[in-house]
Amino acid sequence: MVKLVFLGKFRGLAREDFETPLPAEIHTLSDLQAWIGRRDPALGSAMAGTHTQLVVNQAVVRDLGLPVNDTDEIAFLPPMSGG
Amino acid sequence: MQIRLAATPFEPQQETAAFAAGRADMGALVSFVGLCREVNDGRDVAELFIDHYAGFTEREIACIAADVAGRFDCPDLLVVHRVGSIAPGEAIVLVAALSEHRGNAFEAVRVLMDYLKTDAPLWKKESGPDGVRWIEPRAEDRVRRAQAEEERI
Repeated sequence: MVKLVFLGKFRGLAREDFETPLPAEIHTLSDLQAWIGRRDPALGSAMAGTHTQLVVNQAVVRDLGLPVNDTDEIAFLPPMSGG
Repeated sequence: MQIRLAATPFEPQQETAAFAAGRADMGALVSFVGLCREVNDGRDVAELFIDHYAGFTEREIACIAADVAGRFDCPDLLVVHRVGSIAPGEAIVLVAALSEHRGNAFEAVRVLMDYLKTDAPLWKKESGPDGVRWIEPRAEDRVRRAQAEEERI
């Protein structure tokens, strides 16, 4: 199961954080982001319209070509507003 | 170094007193408290909500605090940051530093605050009569952060 986490304004647009078996067509982080966008267009366009940072298993990732594994926790972070 | 995210209101003076208790080896205690304002950018604020990524947010703040501690030879740092729902007048953040002399403690608190205001993994949402909006970093905070980075070099 892949665990998806949405922060800030993405959390407001996503129905909730969720776990899902990794769909067969998803190989990379880029595939995953596109899949989320198809499933939830408002969230997808919000993520495409800003600088979205991905955090995989609590580590910042910049290369969306990296593979997704079925046990990953993947978080989508909008630009940080600071405290 | 102490980093804590607080889901309920905290009392900055008590936190600071506990932090400095028994530290007769230190000659300077500098602290900064950021408060939730009832008006921001001309809009009335009824509630501030701060979202965070549990685990990740604490580690990122701790990582920067460790960098600041090393740079200013000021290992004794305290950060308490509210998350969740915050009312106007409540403390949002406390940063405190202990050092032998005041210069390092002042600088450590200033630089750590500049980081917390721009790049900490926190997301703020304001609610009020004008509606709800997610806040992005202020341009002036980014400029201040850039200046701080230049001073590093």
